[in-house]
Amino acid sequence: MSFDAGRFPVPVREDMTAALRKSWADIGRAGTWWTGPERVAVAALARVERVQRNEPPWSRNRGEPDTALPEKAIEAARKIGADPMHLDRAWAEEIIAELGDARYVELASVVVTTVAADAFCEAMGIEHEPLPEPETGEPTRERPEGMGDIGAWVPVQVVDWSRANVARALSLVPAGVRTFFRMVAAMYSGTATDFEKMVWDHRPLTRPQVELLAARVSALNQCFY
Amino acid sequence: MLLRASSQAVGAEVDLTAAVEDAADGGVEDGAVLTAFAEAVVRAADDLDAARARALETLGPAKFVEAAATVGIFNGLVRVADSTGIPSDAMMLERTADVRGDLGFNRWAGASASGVAEAPA
Repeated sequence: MSFDAGRFPVPVREDMTAALRKSWADIGRAGTWWTGPERVAVAALARVERVQRNEPPWSRNRGEPDTALPEKAIEAARKIGADPMHLDRAWAEEIIAELGDARYVELASVVVTTVAADAFCEAMGIEHEPLPEPETGEPTRERPEGMGDIGAWVPVQVVDWSRANVARALSLVPAGVRTFFRMVAAMYSGTATDFEKMVWDHRPLTRPQVELLAARVSALNQCFY
Repeated sequence: MLLRASSQAVGAEVDLTAAVEDAADGGVEDGAVLTAFAEAVVRAADDLDAARARALETLGPAKFVEAAATVGIFNGLVRVADSTGIPSDAMMLERTADVRGDLGFNRWAGASASGVAEAPA
């Protein structure tokens, strides 16, 4: 079982380990546009690259990737994983031109899920969780309706939307949203009602303490959003 | 910024430079311990073990886990925003207009997605 409670040096909330476990299993399953083995390969590439994030890209030890992923998918997994502050529209358009917008978004959803889980393990002082065993199955290839252009590099949900933009950034692949934002709810925001409150009583830390951490992590990654 | 809004909600005034300075407390309880912990994780710093131990000792197990979870999930959230070029929310841009330039945020690559980019320093 992934994210077993016994791996952690101190007790971790059951809802958090349950969310991590579910999202981790999702990585190994066929998604909307990528197969299970392809998704695990994306996660592996992002992890290997991010571990070497303090080295410049040209001097990282990558070896030969053990995957048949398209070259642009390999590049995207590595760059989103390790160098998020160097992403720009021109680069994304080049990747999307080859992969397609929905395949790019799903790839990003796998990378961000992997990075969040890995960073949590590093913060807790435990080894990274072994990547899930890839499962067989075919992608569903379902493209949601109600997508539109709000100035992002990819289409996002534009119908019936009143929440923060970042929560719809991956909406071209709803399964990817569920996988990652399940972890967001358990590890940060709580329910939508919790999130709207400026004074939190559903977490041991105060909201200013949580938001100071969030702001510092965002700034270290030079994330404008 | 949710940091400023949540501090004001409890009658406190936060120093937002804590977002961009090392080991700054920003006027938040145990802030310096929290930011030093976040910095060590993000940078994979040599002092990560020490920063983690200090965080656990200062905060206690339950708060320490929440801090680790916040650091973890925000490493994912920043990549959601920066890999999709999602524009910042209009309300957030309006509420941070007075501080973004001073803190250097408008010089980051992602600022262009929100139409407020300045030339890098």
